[in-house]
Amino acid sequence: MKITKEEVIKIAQISRIAIKPEEVESLTQQLQDVLSYAQVVKDVANQLLDQPSNRNINFLRDDVVTKTDSEIVLSRAPEREENYFVVPKILDNK
Amino acid sequence: MHNLAFKTIKELKALVHSGEISYQELLKFFIENAKKHEDLGSYLEIFDQDSITKNCTFSGTLAGIPGLIKDNIAQKDRKMTCASKILETFVTNYDATAIARLKKEGAALLGRANMDEFAMGSSGETSAFFKTKNPWNKACVPGGSSSGSAAAVAAGIVPWALGSDTGGSVRQPAAMCGIVGLKPTYGHVSRFGLTAYGSSLDQIGVLTRSVYDNALVFSVIAGKDSKDASSLVVDAQDYTKNLTGKIKQGLKIGVVQEAIEGQGLDPEIKKAVEQAIKEFEKLGATIVPISMRTLEYGAAAYFIISRAEAASNLARFDGVRYGIRDKERDLNEMYKNTRHDGFGAEVKARILVGNYVLSVGHAGEFYDNAKRVRRAIRREFSDAFEKVDLLVMPSHSVPAFTVGTYDNDKLAMDLQDYFTAPMNLAGVPSLSIPVGFTHDKKPIGMQIIGAHLAEELIYQTAYSYEQNTVWHTMHPQF
Repeated sequence: MKITKEEVIKIAQISRIAIKPEEVESLTQQLQDVLSYAQVVKDVANQLLDQPSNRNINFLRDDVVTKTDSEIVLSRAPEREENYFVVPKILDNK
Repeated sequence: MHNLAFKTIKELKALVHSGEISYQELLKFFIENAKKHEDLGSYLEIFDQDSITKNCTFSGTLAGIPGLIKDNIAQKDRKMTCASKILETFVTNYDATAIARLKKEGAALLGRANMDEFAMGSSGETSAFFKTKNPWNKACVPGGSSSGSAAAVAAGIVPWALGSDTGGSVRQPAAMCGIVGLKPTYGHVSRFGLTAYGSSLDQIGVLTRSVYDNALVFSVIAGKDSKDASSLVVDAQDYTKNLTGKIKQGLKIGVVQEAIEGQGLDPEIKKAVEQAIKEFEKLGATIVPISMRTLEYGAAAYFIISRAEAASNLARFDGVRYGIRDKERDLNEMYKNTRHDGFGAEVKARILVGNYVLSVGHAGEFYDNAKRVRRAIRREFSDAFEKVDLLVMPSHSVPAFTVGTYDNDKLAMDLQDYFTAPMNLAGVPSLSIPVGFTHDKKPIGMQIIGAHLAEELIYQTAYSYEQNTVWHTMHPQF
């Protein structure tokens, strides 16, 4: 298989990670290496004995409202205003 | 004053109990000793004595016994950086369940251990702050990702440390540093407060210099927790009570043939593991060869599943709620720049691999097939445990290597997980114990693997081996 630079740029876009032009080549190589190795699963999956999924199930606690001080959470934000997280403007007013 | 550095938890407890040393003297010694070994780079922070004291009850199973916590496990009102720039300033506001339980049993939490960034790495080299050195040979890496935890325990900085193990991150550094490291059964220790990497694989684990100490700390942190829906319904118990020095009557140990005959296995590691197997035979165990055909696909399935889960888990680091934020005033550009600057190269590569294998057009080929292989691996383990009580295989394929060895071959670095990732995929417990040294004095480790929840049997078996060997009594010379 062959991973192209264009694919890496697209995946980085989906992943919301900026990549600089000089970073593309080594990232492409790294993805190429690991995915080429990993694609063996495609060849063997059907030859191996399958087993039903694990019997363990998640257990759930009662849904009880507890009080949390929002200040604790907000105080860790890079930017906040009163009781809100501040984010860059999303809607354009053009 | 005693040299306390290499005393076990058991010995330290006895010294305090007899009044030979006070809790504050103990703390002072370990804080000063940690500072003396700052050059190892094993910790990101050692707290001051007053604040450690304030957070410690000095009563319970681990009363006043100092330990170090991998920096992806939350300690209330302390920094938790995951050795990443993106969380460089982050202070957590709650205790992980494992931490709450340690505090309840009086443990003295000394500081935060260095690690590979977000637990992604096998050498300690991906920490955004500085690399950790192997105390046995400072030119070499300590293994990873629980690099600081392993190096600190091996160097006598603390008698115990917590790490986390997603594909081998407790066992491989434990092996490379000559200490004992447990990856518990999936769900046996609550993950509440552990920064998520691969949620279907992650477990908090324990690193110590002796099997008894390991079982003791594990007893404190194990068991059901209502805050982690994936934790198993298992009551707390004392895992030290069966450490008699004798192995179980009629114990059958399976030797995984594909591991011991593996192409890439270092000959000195092979020899040491074979020697250890002979020792088990002397102790009365029956040795049975076991074939595990899926072993060679474990790393491939692990790469896919762990990266996929990482890509999802690390989506939360977006510069909005915590951590650093880029100044860009466009939302998308802010996300992208924050994540570019905040994450290191290895973390970014793993997120990209994860989103690739999950993306439309590739998920069927990669992710779905990896899940099938994972189920086959699970099945092979359960089949094996129909025939034998325990399995053994090496913890690592090569001894501690020189810093920078795999800078230009990331796949070779990733393959450090080859012998350890299958247990995370199967969810079974595995303990790495020291079984010897190479000709140039680098530690060698071997895994004892059990069926789900077989920790007690693993500890009992490991302890009897330890009682009959000297590896755990050997320490690095500084």
